[in-house]
Amino acid sequence: MSKITRRKFLAASAAGGTAIMMAPTKKAFAAGSFEGFPDGMGVLVDLTRCVGCRTCEAACNKEQKLPEPALPFDDYSVFDEIHHGNQKRRTTDKAYTIVNRYDLKDSDEPLYRKIQCNHCNEPACLTSCFVNAYTKTPEGAVIYNSHVCVGCRNCMIACPFHIPAYTYHSVLNPVIKKCIFCYDTRLKEGRPPACVESCPQQVMTFGKRKDLMVIAHERIKKNPDKYIDHVYGEKEVGGTGWFYISSAPFEEAGFDVHLPKKPIIDNVKDFLAIVPVVLTVWPALFTGFHLLATKGKSHGHGDDHSHDEQEGH
Amino acid sequence: MVNASKQLITGLGVLLLFSVLSVSCYAMDYPEEVEIDSLANLYEPVIFDHAMHVDATEGCAECHHHTTGTPVLNAYCAKCHTGDVEMDVVACQDCHSADPVSPENLHNPKPGYSYHNDQPNLKAAYHLKCLGCHREVDGPTGCEDCHAKTEAGDKFYHSGEFAPKEDAQHGAEHE
Amino acid sequence: MKKLETFGIKPHDASLKADGEKWSIMEKLLLGLTLDQYIGQAIRNKLNWFFAIIFAIGIPVIIYRFIFSLGAVTHASYDYPWGLFLGFGLFCMVPLSASGFMLGTTVEVFGRHDFEPIERLALLNGLLGYFFAVVYLLVDLGQPWRLSYPMVYSFGPAAVLFLVGWHVATYLSVQVAEVSTAFFEWIGFQRGYDFIRKGTIGLTVAGIILSTLHQGALGALFLYAPGKVHPLWYSAPFQWILFFISSIPAGLCMVICVSTIVIHTMKWRCDKRFIDNLDWITIALAKGSAMGLITYLIMKFIAIAHDNEWAYFFTGWGAWWWFEILGFVILPLVILSYGIHNKLVGLCRIGAFLTVLGILLNRLNTALITFNWQLYQEIPHYLEFVIAITIFAIYVATYRFILARLPILYKFRSQAEE
Ligand code: SF4
Ligand code: SF4
Ligand code: SF4
Repeated sequence: MSKITRRKFLAASAAGGTAIMMAPTKKAFAAGSFEGFPDGMGVLVDLTRCVGCRTCEAACNKEQKLPEPALPFDDYSVFDEIHHGNQKRRTTDKAYTIVNRYDLKDSDEPLYRKIQCNHCNEPACLTSCFVNAYTKTPEGAVIYNSHVCVGCRNCMIACPFHIPAYTYHSVLNPVIKKCIFCYDTRLKEGRPPACVESCPQQVMTFGKRKDLMVIAHERIKKNPDKYIDHVYGEKEVGGTGWFYISSAPFEEAGFDVHLPKKPIIDNVKDFLAIVPVVLTVWPALFTGFHLLATKGKSHGHGDDHSHDEQEGH
Repeated sequence: MVNASKQLITGLGVLLLFSVLSVSCYAMDYPEEVEIDSLANLYEPVIFDHAMHVDATEGCAECHHHTTGTPVLNAYCAKCHTGDVEMDVVACQDCHSADPVSPENLHNPKPGYSYHNDQPNLKAAYHLKCLGCHREVDGPTGCEDCHAKTEAGDKFYHSGEFAPKEDAQHGAEHE
Repeated sequence: MKKLETFGIKPHDASLKADGEKWSIMEKLLLGLTLDQYIGQAIRNKLNWFFAIIFAIGIPVIIYRFIFSLGAVTHASYDYPWGLFLGFGLFCMVPLSASGFMLGTTVEVFGRHDFEPIERLALLNGLLGYFFAVVYLLVDLGQPWRLSYPMVYSFGPAAVLFLVGWHVATYLSVQVAEVSTAFFEWIGFQRGYDFIRKGTIGLTVAGIILSTLHQGALGALFLYAPGKVHPLWYSAPFQWILFFISSIPAGLCMVICVSTIVIHTMKWRCDKRFIDNLDWITIALAKGSAMGLITYLIMKFIAIAHDNEWAYFFTGWGAWWWFEILGFVILPLVILSYGIHNKLVGLCRIGAFLTVLGILLNRLNTALITFNWQLYQEIPHYLEFVIAITIFAIYVATYRFILARLPILYKFRSQAEE
């Protein structure tokens, strides 16, 4: 579990401030990247199969006891909805998953894409949270503890897939709402999520992430004409628990194809790494400056100074 | 029909397996009609006009892969199966499990084993086959073109008499 | 005030009255005036009327926010989780309050006691800025009553915000300690004063460490959102450095601005020492700012070169970037340099003012304006503006209240004579 060590290390470096922390630093970073819990579950999403029936949306609504939708789940006019001038629908505090339609350049048939939390291996939401409200469970779900959430919404800033939503309209207990892989009701017992089970087309295949990755590549290999040779989520932001194969280039289906291949937290590592350095070196350095600067000078405060040779500092 | 057990919530079907009517299926000896009801829950069972589809397709193997004793159409299946042997099992559900991801069954799909390792579940087997073809030949593709929604279905989709009221529509849109 | 002075009434500025008696706290609060005199001058002051109008509108809106949820005063946007409260309140107030640690360093660490006349103003500016950044944060948090959770209850130590939280909290205490010397003087608690003075060096060094880290950390916060912040405002290896470096001119220029305002509006409160020294100090601060600015400018270009983002210069965002850099970094730099060279205090003040605006623009650009540049731009709800302005007005009012009383701009005569 190199991961745990590393998080612990980051923990120490951010919070603490002694030289002792310097020692594990290099080792922890050298430990390389975390590949997720080896037996974590995942979902392979095959975009070529989705027909946009929105059954998964209805299933999620029921399973997660979400509020009544604005429109029936068999109303397909939602695919034409445009928000903020150019935005298709996104996940909200009332819908943990939504299906969008994308018109393709080279095909009359549109592509549908189901959007929900991707249950990243090294979730940005988790690493950005300053009260550690998120947990990546060994089963592979990224779950959230509303009891410690302060409501800073940093996770919403951090999630590269724009997933977490906030119940802004709650006065006393606003919380983050997002897909939790049906952790409490299903995943914990080894059962597939409600949306996966409901899909008539088995767009989503549930299983161990590492097994599914093999299947994904096999599907591409067996049908090279049908699929783009890329598994979105295999490497993106360090790998995601839910990943995708598609017949059209992913950018045409609204995926962000410019995401880094490394976990988001890697961006921040450089900064976190300087923390112990500053904590240990600065005091010595500035106390030194102080001694040098005041050596031989009286400590008398604020008298004789010549106004002419003032320097900036 | 509507299955009362609440915990078996699926999109289109229950997990229980009833038998499809097509029991005996010798070459050129097939049922005229098949009532597909094993998964019926949100939708009524489908009365499948088998005879019509036999006429409309190139051969049994279009749907039945290598099991009917007719030439295998899929090149991939043809790697092993010549198709000249008629199998004991022909019906979809005989191979396609309604619940391939039950806890006991989690290793299906089986990786590392190159064949039969990525079988769709029964519900998907039906829909992928039916819709796959229907989309190509402009057959019916809407859900209710084949099976009418049940009351449970209306409830599930918040449609029909369970459709959201007007005021709910305003409340949910915040932009 | 001015009017009272013509009657020969002088505000309280020593621990003892002319006749050797001690001032009571009440008398000190009223600046040594009688109640009638005090109220009279408060009513004559037009700024108070202006504040009254803002508070009359804004305070009910703040209460409204706490009764009817954040959703009632914001667009409740999922794509813009951080609006004006943090974009302005946190990301702008904190760099503008970097003055405390810089002047502290100059005076205490580098032993430049000639900067002392402005030191306390800089410390106070730091303290209030941070304090009000926290106030903004409290308004923005979904569950502000859980503010202490990251400190005592549930730790997310790999998070940059965790570091920001801890450091702002510790630094606030450091600053309270630093400013408390003025307070102890004012209430006449000599022992407390001596105690803190002894720890000054420690406090100052702690201030430097904490400031380096959390000023940088505010930048590092955006490293969680690669692709959301426009590449011209985003740089993985340099973001924290850019934020830290730019906080130097930000803090210094903020002190120049505040001292400019003070010398024009509260001259009665400044002692001779402050007034006489302000000009050269302004120029010296301007020098520091100019050096900070030029480093910042160079780093900006290094960051762009490092990530090879030149192509973005020719887009609309590029033009906006040039607007920020030309108008609010290069222009003030030129003005400041000219002002420093020719010892033109007024010019330095204009330059400082522009620099402050530039920092505002930069932080807003990073946090709000270019955020989600690939999606859409959102204009915050008008009530967000109302609340942001109200809190800022409270900030100014508090600032003035303290300046008018504590020995910040003046020295207690008793001590000056010691
Ligand atoms: S249920 Fe399956 S086919 Fe229907 S919209 Fe969802 S993913 Fe697509
Ligand atoms: S998709 Fe977003 S919310 Fe889900 S685990 Fe990844 S970072 Fe977190
Ligand atoms: S996994 Fe569960 S919570 Fe997530 S989208 Fe599917 S049904 Fe909803």
